[in-house]
Amino acid sequence: MAKKISRRKFLKDAVVGGVALGTGLGGYRVTYGQAKKAAGPIKIGGQGATSGAHTDYGWQMMAGSTMAIEEINAKGGILGRKLELKFMDEELKPATAVKNARYLVTDWGADFLFGIDSSGSGMAVGPVLPELDRLCFICHAATHRITEELVYEKKIKQIFRTCVPTYQDGILPALIMKDFPEIKRWAGIHEDYEYGYVAWNTFKETMKKYRPDVEFVSIAWAPFWTMDFSSHIAAVMAEKPDAIHTTKWAGEGVMLIRQALTLGVFDNIKAWWQCMGGSVDVLQGIAREVEADKFKGKLWASARYIHNYPVTPENKAFVDKFLKRWVRYPNYSAETSYSSIYVIKAALEKAKSFETAKLVAAVEGMEIMTPAGKRYFRPEDHQAVYTVPGGRVIKSPDYPLPILGDLKVIPAKDYYRHPPFTPIAATK
Amino acid sequence: MLEKLAFQALIGLSFSMYLWLLAAGLTLVFGVLGVLNFAHGSLFMLGAYATFTFYGKLGLNFWLSIGLSLISVGIIGAIFERLFIRRIYDIDLPYQLILTFGFILIFDDLVKMIWGGVAMIPPMPSFFEGNFSVLGRPFPIYNLFIIFTGIAVAVALWLILEKTWWGRMIRASASDREMASAIGINIPILFTTVFVFSAMLAALGGALGTPVRVVAPGIGTAMIIQAFVITVIGGLGNLKGAFIGALIVGILTSFGILLFPVFELFIIFVVMAIVLMVKPEGLFGK
Repeated sequence: MAKKISRRKFLKDAVVGGVALGTGLGGYRVTYGQAKKAAGPIKIGGQGATSGAHTDYGWQMMAGSTMAIEEINAKGGILGRKLELKFMDEELKPATAVKNARYLVTDWGADFLFGIDSSGSGMAVGPVLPELDRLCFICHAATHRITEELVYEKKIKQIFRTCVPTYQDGILPALIMKDFPEIKRWAGIHEDYEYGYVAWNTFKETMKKYRPDVEFVSIAWAPFWTMDFSSHIAAVMAEKPDAIHTTKWAGEGVMLIRQALTLGVFDNIKAWWQCMGGSVDVLQGIAREVEADKFKGKLWASARYIHNYPVTPENKAFVDKFLKRWVRYPNYSAETSYSSIYVIKAALEKAKSFETAKLVAAVEGMEIMTPAGKRYFRPEDHQAVYTVPGGRVIKSPDYPLPILGDLKVIPAKDYYRHPPFTPIAATK
Repeated sequence: MLEKLAFQALIGLSFSMYLWLLAAGLTLVFGVLGVLNFAHGSLFMLGAYATFTFYGKLGLNFWLSIGLSLISVGIIGAIFERLFIRRIYDIDLPYQLILTFGFILIFDDLVKMIWGGVAMIPPMPSFFEGNFSVLGRPFPIYNLFIIFTGIAVAVALWLILEKTWWGRMIRASASDREMASAIGINIPILFTTVFVFSAMLAALGGALGTPVRVVAPGIGTAMIIQAFVITVIGGLGNLKGAFIGALIVGILTSFGILLFPVFELFIIFVVMAIVLMVKPEGLFGK
């Protein structure tokens, strides 16, 4: 029997469908606004990498935000309402991150979003935030484009970034290492994606400004999950550089450093700058070698926050509590997530409203004391301005794991880029 | 310049030998059992985790730890073959891919449940720490060791397959399963043995990586793509092809990194594409 749709049925379906679609779409807009209920818990939706090789970064976000939420709830919540957390896996995939953001807001009813490890995911989630009508605090994704392009140029006001951008890994190391006149030949071993390109390009640009005598002699690009770096190391060492600047992070950073040791690199260079090497997992990974002084004090690193800076009661309380709660040292994503929750608290208490425009206004220009020091949210690009020093990887008698010591503190305003922004070449 | 190239070629050779360890087991299983085992990388990862546990956690001797990890992964391989792989010998390739791909996810999650998601770093045995001078530059003892191991495995495989009774049985069953069975070769046991052997080769790769690498979920999948490229270039199921393929991929990658850092990644895929166009069955494929 052939399935034949009668004209009447077709029309009926079309009308019903059309009406449903019309009210549906209109309805959605309303639901978004209404989902922020006046009673019940305040829902906070987070996401980060909780599977695959970078699992620990997502875990740190969960640990930091959970601790903040527990603290706030123990003191009665925000405006009398308790906080509730749901944390999802973004898999470092933009499409998954967007799906998560949509799910968290429309299905679960999140009032706020935070987290995001991958810059690609951050760039993808940003543009859907106006439609979702929620603020999102980015805790790790560091591309300058999120704040400079999405917020400053495209005016997506719902995005705020609690962590430092890639300025930390390009401009800051250049400002610190320019003061070593004996280092004249730099080489790079970098991530083969935007982060690596931007960090290396801004490093070179800044360095050239202060040190016209410096040469950039060799470069190797290593894609995600390179396991064997000996070819990359041998290739850049062929040009006999004085120092190496690298963006390989997390487990890959550890592998790179270990393989550099077997290749005798630290006998033949004067300095090695490990971007995000101040991350606790990396420091833990090279603890034995630091203990045995294999790096001869030549290993330098940056991070988005380090647990031994600043020396303030706020930071000490945070680190002690974190150690007690999780029996580990907090990594930077733990601190940025912890602080993001407190920014949400401050914003709600100031705005006394869940209206997006009022919340945006409350965070813009906000100055807030956090474990990482005083953070100031620049109104122009919604970037949190706070200082994180770079330093030498050392063994300290006060800590079980290596830390960054010999800290070079440069105020954030001096190494951050400022609006109006000139484009950075995000290419090899 | 010549010196730079020669040094880079030697480094590339050690990378080749490392890839060869992984590609050998992959291609052996395909050649004999007719199964394209996507989860080969997971067995590699398990080898790394087992070595980490014996050596890094329990503090056993490094070589003993490698031996124990080969045995452990061999046992896992035997169970895996008996319970699952055995059932897919006669069905289409896409089903094999789905099953073995599913096991990548299962093994990754199991590993996370047992060891956690944090990348773990076993200590480096002190005899690997040093280097010696080659062309006036430091060359790691570790990389030299990998080159020797790779060559030793190649020679051993050749001897086993060409010179022993067992090797003849394997070759016979690879070329005609039914005929081999008819003349009295116990195919199921032979297949399990080959699969276990290939699992142990994967575990050896994982185990030998531990001194300079990290042990983390996902390290298997990171390596398996290159191993596939190698087997495709060399001819699926062909051991000689896998060895030559590993040499091509490892050394070309290494030269690419030195000479064309901007599009180095691209090179081995271009080689693969050319091979597929000119000789789709691979350099040594039939």
